[in-house]
Amino acid sequence: MNLFNIISELEKVDPEIMDRLSHRRSALSALGSLGKKMALAAAPIAIGSAFNKVLGQNNLADTTAVLNYALLLERLEYSFYDQALKAATLTPTLTGAARTAIETIRGHEQAHVNLLKTALGAAAAPEPANGFDFGGAFATYPTFLTFAQAFEDTGVRAYKGQAGNIPRDFSPTVGGATVNVLTVALQIHSVEARHAAHIRYMRRGAAAGAQANIMPWIVGKESNGAPAAVYGAGNPVATFPAEDNIMQATLTLTTGLGATYSAEDVSAAFDEALDNTTVTNIAKSVVTF
Amino acid sequence: MPNSFSAFDRPLRRRSFFRVAGAAAAASTLLLSGCDDSGTTTSNPDPVLTLGSADAGLLNYAYVLEQLETAFYKRVLDTPPADLSAEDKDLLTQIYQHEIVHREFLLKALQTASATPLNTVEFSFTSLTLTTRAGVLTAARMFEDLVVAAYNGAAKLFADATYLLLLGKIVSVEARHAALLHDLLQPGSFADATVVDASGAFAGLERSLTVSEVITEVNKFLVIKISAAGLPTS
Repeated sequence: MNLFNIISELEKVDPEIMDRLSHRRSALSALGSLGKKMALAAAPIAIGSAFNKVLGQNNLADTTAVLNYALLLERLEYSFYDQALKAATLTPTLTGAARTAIETIRGHEQAHVNLLKTALGAAAAPEPANGFDFGGAFATYPTFLTFAQAFEDTGVRAYKGQAGNIPRDFSPTVGGATVNVLTVALQIHSVEARHAAHIRYMRRGAAAGAQANIMPWIVGKESNGAPAAVYGAGNPVATFPAEDNIMQATLTLTTGLGATYSAEDVSAAFDEALDNTTVTNIAKSVVTF
Repeated sequence: MPNSFSAFDRPLRRRSFFRVAGAAAAASTLLLSGCDDSGTTTSNPDPVLTLGSADAGLLNYAYVLEQLETAFYKRVLDTPPADLSAEDKDLLTQIYQHEIVHREFLLKALQTASATPLNTVEFSFTSLTLTTRAGVLTAARMFEDLVVAAYNGAAKLFADATYLLLLGKIVSVEARHAALLHDLLQPGSFADATVVDASGAFAGLERSLTVSEVITEVNKFLVIKISAAGLPTS
């Protein structure tokens, strides 16, 4: 790939990209000012370069910012399940296997919070002073599950959106062990996907209205009652398409793979990423913090 | 990106060729006759297929995993056990379709990268119990869990960030499949302690397996074995 063209493209959406890249990625820092001059001189090419795809309009400055962003999302999720399990409105309905499942998920979110705090050490951001206010999210069992689906699916998109922002060789010592931060992020990411699948599965059950059209995976950009933005496009749209996207790596998968595949299957086969600005906006649209 | 790698690490020795050929014929016979799931295990101790190196090798690694999944679901849906419900079949069919899309997409990705796709693999599922719903779901759960752990471990090995993001888009869908299969077998087990650490410093994290750990598992279902040699390890 042509690195200079990529940087040139990036500078169009992020004028300070060279500054950010040069102290963030050791591999790129070697380019220095010569690289910047050449990048500015390079003719623009078609969009869609590797770094552009990954960075997009994400505006987190470094790995610490990425981890603090993850910490905020995990705190939000932990608080959501913790409040649900304590909500009087849900006491009659959130029972049995459903309660056990939500306790399991809360336990995972708590573990994620603890791990991220340990990894960040003194750099960990403080909790929001007034906690999280989820409004009417706990009014009924089906409403609670709708919010849960929104948070889990958003969480999956959020982690995916940061994967390229974590240097793959960043392996600090955390709690006495060497951990690769990118791998850990993926190990959290797939757990969030399992949560999302289970919440969706719960919504198929009788207590939640027997919504048999809700699949454990995301079909098209069907929101199933959650905010549409959860399944919508991020910014820029070319990098962070909506969940009904059927194009990967410039290839239209419904017709470009030698046979015809339905848009439902193709869109469900790939989960899409989301930039941090869009994720934060979604969170702020339903939660006060 | 290196684009010269061979599907064959070395020529088959005469003796092992006959062993492999014999095993393959035995496996085909078993499949054709509709068969006994507790049949003999086909085995060839010598890994003879390699995946390549660098990103192309990793793409081949993912390609083999998706081929394993599609071959498995095809086998199940071609001759489903009597106690598999219509809803089960519908869910497994959707999963199967996702895996086909993954497989064909990875094939295109390999071709685009001018790499040689390893598509000569032949699977044998005779060691699995595929005559009951429980057996089918147990095997499906094992494969989905394996693929998630494989991708979690392989992601950091890609040099090109484009592939990392594409793998991320696939792995969360595999995790959704895995969670569903856990729930279908045992309600509420979507993220149990077999796949997500329940305690300790890494509580809340899903398993991550190295390429060589995964290949060891995959080889149990391959007529001709694969070697992990050549793939990046860090």
